[in-house]
Amino acid sequence: MKRFRIADLIFHVIMVLLAFVWIYPYLWLFISSFKPAKEIFTTFIPSRFTLEHYEFIFFMSGRLGRPFARALLNSIFVASTVTFSVVMTSAFVGFVLAKIRFLLARTVLNFILYQMLFPGFMFLIPLFMLIRALGLMNSYSALILPGLMSSWGAFMFAQSFKTIPDDYIDAAKLDGASRFWIVLRLMLPLTRSTASIVGLFTFIGAWDNFLWPLMVIKDYNKMPLAVLLATFNHEYAGYVGPIFAGAVLQTIPMVLIFLLLRKYFLQGISLSLR
Amino acid sequence: MASLKSREKRFGFGILAAYLTHTAIFWGYPFVWMVMLAFSRWRFVGKPSFVGLANFLRIFQDSNFIRVALNTLNFLAYLIPMLLLSSLLFAIALSKMRYFKTFVVMSFLVANVSSGVAYSIMFANLFAVNGPVNRFVYSLFGFTIPWFNHPQLAIFSICLIVTWKFIGYYGMIIYAGLQAIPTSVFEAARMDGASNWKIFWTITLPLLNPSLITVTVFATTLTFGIFTEPYMITGGGPMMRTTTFLIYMYDTAFRRINPSYATVVAIVAAAMSFSLVMIIRRIFEREVAFV
Repeated sequence: MKRFRIADLIFHVIMVLLAFVWIYPYLWLFISSFKPAKEIFTTFIPSRFTLEHYEFIFFMSGRLGRPFARALLNSIFVASTVTFSVVMTSAFVGFVLAKIRFLLARTVLNFILYQMLFPGFMFLIPLFMLIRALGLMNSYSALILPGLMSSWGAFMFAQSFKTIPDDYIDAAKLDGASRFWIVLRLMLPLTRSTASIVGLFTFIGAWDNFLWPLMVIKDYNKMPLAVLLATFNHEYAGYVGPIFAGAVLQTIPMVLIFLLLRKYFLQGISLSLR
Repeated sequence: MASLKSREKRFGFGILAAYLTHTAIFWGYPFVWMVMLAFSRWRFVGKPSFVGLANFLRIFQDSNFIRVALNTLNFLAYLIPMLLLSSLLFAIALSKMRYFKTFVVMSFLVANVSSGVAYSIMFANLFAVNGPVNRFVYSLFGFTIPWFNHPQLAIFSICLIVTWKFIGYYGMIIYAGLQAIPTSVFEAARMDGASNWKIFWTITLPLLNPSLITVTVFATTLTFGIFTEPYMITGGGPMMRTTTFLIYMYDTAFRRINPSYATVVAIVAAAMSFSLVMIIRRIFEREVAFV
């Protein structure tokens, strides 16, 4: 029994150490972004902490024509608009697919399943043609419009709305509730975890989207942070400190929203099993 | 009551019409153009000219395309075993943990929400010639490892960081599968005197089939979609060995100004990914039911 406990203890220590190994890259990046430029590669704990890289990113990079502060706002604007729109539209489409029984709803549901067979990267070049033909190159519309609605989101909502009894909806209707009220005030709050999963994954996808904005945005003022950071990394590879500061800025919102919604993230994973 | 039903339908039609319009513009229209481009020659200006199957035939003579296809196989050869094995081990270890479980899960999962660009920059510097990892290796063994400069090693290193990112996510999928197995199955086996090793091979592993297949399929589709890591870290080199389908598609479309051929590259890559998934399903998938 005694030996068993020691083995158990060692096992737990190893797992916790492994967990630290897994977050070490983040810690290193985070601490390095506050180190004086000379010490980034030489010491783990620097002689002093400095905000100079962040000052460069926020106040000086604009003079180089690489406006990081603006890129951060661009990313926030694009990702939150897309997320808000996807959650709202998916809830309504999902409601119709799950709760209104008519032929079109069944057809659309089958179509969505069929649509999921095609990976998104197949459409990138034709979609690029469309955006160019519409004259939307270098605009926020190019980043936002294609993502306003999501088949996957609608499907997720449809699946979870199916589990809500029709009686709830009928009762609300008898009380004179409009369908908009039913979706926004009755269905959405009942399926808060689905809404969080759709929102979380959409936000991460929009924030982290790289190839598409790289194709359609060449104007430094319109670039989302990921693209500006990538081009800056190519052009000014020597500015390691500011690049790290930019990488931290790019990472923080994703990690924050993950920590806030971690419970739903786990549920989302188990949903992907079905 | 009839009017209520028809009003409900009208509401449904209205919503679905909006959805279908969006889908028609941003999915249907590109879909049609994708098919047209595949059979045409077009260089961003003028009208596409019909060339029949020429784009598809060109693939067989394009040594770069063959290189890229081999690269993808090379990536798969590392990634699938690495991801499967490590996430399986992670899931099993997790099921045996009693303390600090949440902390361990969160540490591994937070890697999964890393941004592609940011984590590529992070690892490119961590594994740089003068980076902390090589400094550590040098202090132990007296040499440094050219993580991203040697062809085979570059592929391996990229697989390593992709594994870092996905082990938590895939581990949780397998962990969920593990939790779904009723403990009575294990108890019955243990009563019959089966060893732990035997239980693992003849009970745990076969019953985990659905989650293992899910992870394999996810990892396969993931591999065909790799872009950011090699684009940021190696630029497709050394010797084109980390050029993935998406990097080749991007370069063909925007550097070599041949979007119609690039579309065919994307279509063939998607077809290969799809067929591989089908083959994996056909060969390895088993019906699993707990009675």
